[in-house]
Amino acid sequence: MMTVNYNEQLSALVDGELQGEQLERVLALLKTDVQAQQQLQRYQHTSDVLHGFTTKLHPVDLSERLALALQDEPTHTMRSQSKANVLAFPSQLWKQLSGLAIAASVGALAVVGVMTQPENQLVSTPIQVAAYEVVNDAKPQLASSNRWTVGEPEVEERLNTYLVDHNEYAGASGVFSYARVVSYDAGQ
Amino acid sequence: MQQARHIILSLCLLIIPFSVHADQDAMQLLQSMGTAAKNLNYDGVFAYQSGNKLQSIRIIHRSDERDEIERVLSLNGAAREVIRTNDLVTCIYPEGKRIHVNRRPLGRGFPSDLLSRLSSATDYYKVTLGDESRVADRLAQELSITPIDNDRYGYRLWVDKASHLLLKSELLTDNKDVLETFAFSTVTVNADITDEMLRPQITGQEMTWNRSDLQSPNQTTAIRGLSVWKLDWLPEGFVLVAQQSRLKASTGNAVEQRVYSDGLSSVSVFIEQIHAAHNHLKGGSNMGAINAFGTILHSHFVTVVGEVPAHTVEKIGNAIRYGNAGQ
Repeated sequence: MMTVNYNEQLSALVDGELQGEQLERVLALLKTDVQAQQQLQRYQHTSDVLHGFTTKLHPVDLSERLALALQDEPTHTMRSQSKANVLAFPSQLWKQLSGLAIAASVGALAVVGVMTQPENQLVSTPIQVAAYEVVNDAKPQLASSNRWTVGEPEVEERLNTYLVDHNEYAGASGVFSYARVVSYDAGQ
Repeated sequence: MQQARHIILSLCLLIIPFSVHADQDAMQLLQSMGTAAKNLNYDGVFAYQSGNKLQSIRIIHRSDERDEIERVLSLNGAAREVIRTNDLVTCIYPEGKRIHVNRRPLGRGFPSDLLSRLSSATDYYKVTLGDESRVADRLAQELSITPIDNDRYGYRLWVDKASHLLLKSELLTDNKDVLETFAFSTVTVNADITDEMLRPQITGQEMTWNRSDLQSPNQTTAIRGLSVWKLDWLPEGFVLVAQQSRLKASTGNAVEQRVYSDGLSSVSVFIEQIHAAHNHLKGGSNMGAINAFGTILHSHFVTVVGEVPAHTVEKIGNAIRYGNAGQ
């Protein structure tokens, strides 16, 4: 659900005018919002036409091309059998990502391309900078552990904070509900 | 043939009032259970079993005209503790030398006021009385709570006949598999609980203190944008029962929590604006019988957490959308 405000920001991204927090927000939006990705491509195409870079009537899906190109690149895949998917933004890569997006609109499309990769990969080439995920091949086993099935301490801590807040509203097992917090398996 | 119809009709007339009466007794016991947990003084040790994990936990609860205070501490492994007072929840993690203090959103007693909404749960669960049995050397009445669909879990509860304190609880899947069990092994009801018994084991020195506060009205206004989220799907009978915003101690970020419940089960939807590069859950995860589903929408971390099946939190997570304030 894009708003006028975000359309303006997407346009600003194409013009290389975004930075700091605004840039981070728009990149986060692009990661998940297909509509925003399509809108960005339209803005990019319009910009290209205005600048005489292309005469094609239809936007070029650079993200798809980039994704295809990346399939041939060497990759390092992280696998964890019982872990949930975690969307990770390594800080160093994030900085590179920000710089990349400011530098060029094509770069911004490259970001979209990597983010829509179907495989969960930590890629090593300079332009493969957007994100990696921990693969979740096996479905989490119900009630198999007293610990969140995630591998990232930051995500785990956030979920634990949510768990404490949610416990205030526990239903039928209310008397016992905080047992989950005190018995959290920190030693796994 | 007509005579047979009369007999069947008469039998139905006999059976229907009986079953309604039985359900009313069950509901009444369920409501008494909620009151007992809040008003009684008790000191006990219970087992918490989830999958192949078994933990022993002590609970000490004191309630009087002025205050309600509860201390829950793990007896195995790291000596984690949670202390709840009228308005604060303090979580002590000795292994990480951290203490988290949260202001309680309800601020008017616990375990929670969800049980006061039990009457609204009757359409979505079949609540019946079961057999009597013994739990923690006390005579208990079994209650069976079966949901009408597989979007929520069922329960088997054992309630103390004398005091109505919950003695044992099982959380059940739609196949009647037990996901989690809580059961007192020993408990003293109407115990004499001293201040000393309610003090934490550690002093707090050399610990890192994090404090999250509910937002003031002004702060809430400042993040009014967080409240424009819509849900396109909820399990039948789930309604919004609570909504709050708080500032996270670790990041200072505003987090909105919305709680939806059918009177017995509940889910929380957490919405946190992304201010910097952070990792987040994508898809599902679980901790015991608690399921979570995370996604990123419109530059926000959106997380659904609840004591409901994985497919329910996922479906709710996928039904959340960002809407304009005017929508």
